[in-house]
Amino acid sequence: MLILHDLQPLPWWLAGAAIGTITLLLLWVTNRRLGISTGFENLCALAVRAPYFRRGEITRSHAWRLPFLGGLVLGGLLSALAGGGWRPFWDLGIFDATFGWGPAGKLAWMFVGGLLIGFGTRMAGGCTSGHGIFGNSNLERASIESTLAFMGAGIVTTNLVYRVWGGL
Amino acid sequence: MGAWVYVLFGTAFGWVLSRSGAADYDFVQGMFLLTNFQLYGIIGSAVAVTAPGLWLLKRLGRTASGQPLRIEPKPRHPGNVVGGLLFGVGWSLTGMCPGPILVNLGEGKVYALGALAGVLAGAALFGALYGRLSGALRLPDLELGTGDG
Repeated sequence: MLILHDLQPLPWWLAGAAIGTITLLLLWVTNRRLGISTGFENLCALAVRAPYFRRGEITRSHAWRLPFLGGLVLGGLLSALAGGGWRPFWDLGIFDATFGWGPAGKLAWMFVGGLLIGFGTRMAGGCTSGHGIFGNSNLERASIESTLAFMGAGIVTTNLVYRVWGGL
Repeated sequence: MGAWVYVLFGTAFGWVLSRSGAADYDFVQGMFLLTNFQLYGIIGSAVAVTAPGLWLLKRLGRTASGQPLRIEPKPRHPGNVVGGLLFGVGWSLTGMCPGPILVNLGEGKVYALGALAGVLAGAALFGALYGRLSGALRLPDLELGTGDG
């Protein structure tokens, strides 16, 4: 069950086929390569003046990456509305059951994790979408190596957090 | 292409992430604990659909409106692995990869604000340090970047 309204998740094959179809349609209709983490650079470019955020790829892609990111937020919002109503909430499943931290602790935990995601995905040149789905499907070596690295690091980290620290 | 097209693609993608477990803390931990195979199934079937579709589209060589298809392969450099390792730790801690941070915000999960603040700070820091990191990690020229995705 999902944390969101205890909804039953879509079957894995249906969700995967839908993601593959969206990836292919995005390419076929708009000539864009699926990728999300570069969009964070587009957001940074609105506020940070470093030369890295003024390179052509960023200034040229505001017009599609920013609405795409907005759509992701909207998709989550509509999913909550249709699935039982929208309300702000703090439920964090197994984290609550294991550690029981309050809102301030969760925000701090998430901030630290977010730092690693922002710094890491931009260093890696992609994330689960750009490397994991598109790059792997296109048999790109950079993507295959990066995917092995982030899956491996995730497995080690979660096992340290829950099996070693949390005593699962 | 109008902005609304990209909003539509993002919304469809966000809905699927929201309803599949990909934007769910417990499903992500279950994947990394090797106790729940839902997300491995999703990534695997997404690649199983995308890979032959890409092969076909590349053979056709044209988009729906007849433009030449443009696929820029990502540059290969040591940052792929080093950055991937850092990202994997962050994905485990937050239970979110980049798309789901935004999806979780939309769903009303307040703690995703912490992840969003972190991810923007992390990306800003990386951009500010690009010149200093590019030597040690043999990153591509600044204008090219590490790979867009």
